[in-house]
Parts: sequence; structure tokens; C-alpha cells
Amino acid sequence: MNRRHIKAKKAEILSLEEAVKKYMHDGIMMCTGGFTAMNRNPVAWVWETIRQEIKDIHNIDPHGCLTSWMLNAADAMAIHESAWTGWGEMAGKLDIQSGNRYKQGRLVLEEYSHGAMALRFLAGAIGSPFMPYFAPPGSDLYNPDYDALGKAGLRNGENPKIADKKFVPIEDPFFKEGTVYLLPAVRPELAVIHVSQAGEKGTARWRGIGTLDKEMAFASDKVVLTCEEIVSEAELRRLPESNQIPYFVVDCIVQVPYGAYPSSTPYFYDYDAKFIQAMNQASRNLQDLKEWLNEWVLEPACWDAFLEKIGTKRLLDLKADSALGYSTKLVRGKKPSPVMRMPLSVMKSGF
Amino acid sequence: MSSKSIEELIAISEIISDEPAKIGEFALPELMAIACSREVKDSDIVFAGTGLPMVGIMTANLLHAPHAALIYEAGICDGKTMHTPMSVCDGRACYMASTLGGLVDTFAYYLQRGYVSLGFLGGAAIDQFGGVNVTCLGGNYFKPDNRLTGSGGNSDIGTMAKRTVFIMLQEKRRFVERNEYTTTPGWWCWDWKTREWKPKREALKNSPFADCGPEAVVTNMGIFRFDEKGIMYLESCHPGVTIEKIKNNCNFDINTSMLKGETRYPTYRELFVLREFVDPELIFISERPEYPEEIRNLL
Repeated sequence: MNRRHIKAKKAEILSLEEAVKKYMHDGIMMCTGGFTAMNRNPVAWVWETIRQEIKDIHNIDPHGCLTSWMLNAADAMAIHESAWTGWGEMAGKLDIQSGNRYKQGRLVLEEYSHGAMALRFLAGAIGSPFMPYFAPPGSDLYNPDYDALGKAGLRNGENPKIADKKFVPIEDPFFKEGTVYLLPAVRPELAVIHVSQAGEKGTARWRGIGTLDKEMAFASDKVVLTCEEIVSEAELRRLPESNQIPYFVVDCIVQVPYGAYPSSTPYFYDYDAKFIQAMNQASRNLQDLKEWLNEWVLEPACWDAFLEKIGTKRLLDLKADSALGYSTKLVRGKKPSPVMRMPLSVMKSGF
Repeated sequence: MSSKSIEELIAISEIISDEPAKIGEFALPELMAIACSREVKDSDIVFAGTGLPMVGIMTANLLHAPHAALIYEAGICDGKTMHTPMSVCDGRACYMASTLGGLVDTFAYYLQRGYVSLGFLGGAAIDQFGGVNVTCLGGNYFKPDNRLTGSGGNSDIGTMAKRTVFIMLQEKRRFVERNEYTTTPGWWCWDWKTREWKPKREALKNSPFADCGPEAVVTNMGIFRFDEKGIMYLESCHPGVTIEKIKNNCNFDINTSMLKGETRYPTYRELFVLREFVDPELIFISERPEYPEEIRNLL
């Protein structure tokens, strides 16, 4: 729908505070990139969103990221569309506030499976209204009675961004391969994606896994990149096959170093498992959670002040090994990481 | 982890015995992880979830299935890990991968295209037909007693991988006749068009995935498989677990007539590989007994 035949544009560069003020509003339908609490979550963006007291967000976060945990913690999310409502694998998986708010009727949860969310974003990204998928007939995900947005009265056509139906099963009309499910495209107002590098014109690059970030960028009406570094557009174009998002898709760039902390940005810094475990602990009762939000989100004067509070030693331990892309100094279990030079399976048996 | 270098540890792993370890020399999660690893064939393309499933396939990769390819759902194709990943999107799982992409790659290009021969998943509850629930327990869907994480990739992988192995905790409320909520359908499931409960092969008539489904369930008490009707039976009991105990922890009448005996114990070599190479940081299996004296002397 939107964004057909727009003019090529150059992204604007704003501060975190300015960009959240400009691009966010109460009730926004947005999607956040990354994967679970581990990989390139746009944490700084959501951190500032909570500080600016933006409410009733419809967040499409298919993988259970820190961003959804934080929005639940601050009571700022009204609708969560997702495949996985857990969050940190290193912290017990369950987002306790998500469960509580859901049971209290303060959170509408629309569920699909992970593959289904991937294809819904792909449909949005390529401008198709829907995508056929061999979703599992017989799963309660496709039980017609379990349509959360429908039950909440939100599929009445008033919001053009919410599909009229959760899914439509059809018999394959071409090859007669049984029942396939048509899944509606995801068409958010805003995608927020944390990347390693953005050129000043908007070309984006990350290393490591891609999750659904490219699909999210193309599926959304507006795109904000938060990034570790703004680098020369010319430099990124010397290796164009390493870039993932073209500049004309991007509306705004916000440089915010460590902007995915406590999740990781591959080749920059690792995830902070201990910090995430402390978040999980705080979410076990509302008083502790309020104190956590005050201490870590509301009280720091700015994102840099938050990082100062985390401390140099901690951030240095998370610093990624430049060859491996992750930290080998991080203690995650009961013992430190061993010194390794080659994957053992490769040493023993090749590829 | 001992003070030995990795090269020395590899040399030790070559000379360690393939004899089964004795009771008391392995922890229960070790038995489960190794039972999982034995389900992997060298020719498999495996799609695994976070936790013990990952530990199981990484162990298989270092033992009998070095060429099994590992797909992790965040976009990783055949990562060759050097350091234990904590989840399916950890940068450690990306090392020396064949390709890195995103979810469209893993779920559409690899899974829906039909490359994945083995899925390895967890579950909160399972029914006698192998249908799995990871969504909610008790109450009803919109107002559950316990809200769980939801599908993630569970229902996709469990539906489109040729075979699926589930690893889970066994309790009476988790081993049920019929799931309250089915996230991933088993060999029998609802047909929503007619609202009939029927064999999956009929519900998925003409589908390229009609013959895909659960193959085994590894619990903290035993190993289960499925008969030709798609109904679960007990294959083996873990050491110290009686048939009565398993019956008491099933909410349906579990078929025990095809019981083969005790679950095979892990061998010393399997345990050594799991402890020293797969989880040397004690991330997934944090409590484990000491090695017997002859192995301690080597370290």
C-alpha cells in the first residue's frame, strides 16, 4: 500500500531524543529488529521511547527481543504480534511481565509461528498482500477460534494496517499439493533496526545473522536505523555485496554506540548475560521492576550516562574479538571460555 | 575444564574407552543429551532449537555424525562452532558457517523447500500422538494458568522436518491424552475445516509434508517412539526408572509392550566429548559427577 513510487531520498541524521520524538507516537504499529535478547536489538530506541512515555504500542517483534521485555516492563505495549513471547535464553526464557499483563487482559497477543512471521514480513517487503505457506493444519495457531486481534474487535477494517483475517486456508489451485495457508503481509508504520554501520546517505551494513531485518525495512512505511557508526557512504560502496539495505529505504539514522546493549552487535560487542539475568530477576515483582526502570532507564541523563553506569570494565569484557566477532573474555557458565584455534569438528573431520 | 591444551584433550579423547559408563558417573541431562545425539545420522540436515537439542547435535557432530549439517533458525547454515553458543542466534553458532542469512533462508529456503531431515525441539507438554504444546497450560487459551513462550519455530520445524525428536521433562500434567492447546500437531490432529480429529496423513492429504512427524521423545525418564498408528510407546527406561514410575507420569495408558529395556548408558568417550568439547563452560549442564580415576589420571 504506502510507499509506492516515492522519490529517492536521503536519510536524515538525528539525535536519539529528536528521532524518537519525530518518529514515534502513541498507538504506533512498529517492528523492532534483531533476534531474542542476543542479537542487535534496538535497545537504545526503546529505552528513549520509555523515557518519552509513549504508550499503547502495537509491536511486531517476532522473536521475543529485549525491546518487548522493556515495553512490557514500562506498560507501554498494548498489542504484541509475535511467534515467541519469551526473551532471554540465558535468563529462563519466560518474559514474566508479558505473562502477567496477558493474564490481566492488558496485552493483546497475536500469535503465529516463526516461519509464518518470516513469510508475512517477506510479503510486506515485496509488496504482496499475502504469502502462501505450508503452515501446520491441526495446530491451534490456525484454530479459527484463536484469533486475538479479531476477538479484540481490531479486524473491523478501521485500521487499514490490520488484516481483515488472521489467515485463509486454500487448496493449492496449481499443483494440487493439499491445503496451504494464505498469511497476510505485515505492514508496520515504522521499522527500527540496529546495524553496525550506516553510510551518511542511508546504506546499511551488518555482520552476522540477518534475522528479518531486511524484510522489516522493506515492509514498513518508515525506517530508522540506529547504528554503531556512521561511516562514509563511499567506503560502504567499495564492497556493495556486503551491504543489506539500500539508502532509499531509510528515513533516519541515529548514531548510538552500544545501542543494542545488553544484546550483542557482532564484531563490536557481545551480549551481557549477567545484566539480562538481573533484568529477569527484577521482573519477578512490580516494586523491583519499578526500581530497575528508575535506575537503568529513567535516571541516567542520556544514553552515554547509562553506558558510564554500566562501567568500562564490563564493556571491555564484552568487546568482540575482531577475528571471531564475539568476546572470549565473557564468563557465561561456571568456567571461562577455552582457548581454541579451529572448530573441533573441522579439525577432526573437515567440512 | 582441565589445564590440558585442546590438542592434548583431543589426543585423550582418542584413547578413551567406548565402554558404557556406570551409574553415578553421568548426570541425567548428560544421558538425555547423548540419547539425543544418537538420533542424528551423518547424512542429516538438522534444524535444532536452543538448549539440550543444540548440545545433542553438537555432540553427534563430534562423534558419529561429523558431516551432519546444523541449521539454526536465526539464519545460520552449517555453523562449525568453536565456543558453545547459548542460543540459536549466538554469534558463536555462526563461526565457519556455509552461509549466513535470515529467517526466510532457514524457514523457507531450507525448511519449506524440504531440505531438513531432522528437527530437534523442546516441548512443555506432549500428547500420546506426539502433538506438542509450548503455548499455555491450564485455564483456557485467552486466560491460561501458565502462559509459556509460544511456538517460535516449533510448529514449523515439527511440521516440515522429515523426522522430529522432542526432548522434554516428563510429568503427569505434561504427558497427556489430548493437548489443551496444540502448538505442533502430532500424528493425529484437528482438521479445522471439518472440526474432525483425524490422522495427520489424512488432514494433510496431498501435502508434501504429510509423512513428516515426530519420531522419538527423550524425557528425564525414558525414550518413547511411535507405532504405525502414530501412537506413542515406551522404548526404554532410564537407569533407576521403573515402568510403574513412567506409567504414573503419563496421563494416558502408555503402551509398554515394546519395551526394549534400559536406555543405553553414555560411553566414557561420549561423556568426555560432551564435557570437554561441547559444553566445557558448563553452560547447559552445570552439575556433573567426576570422572572415574583412570580418566582423572589422564587429565
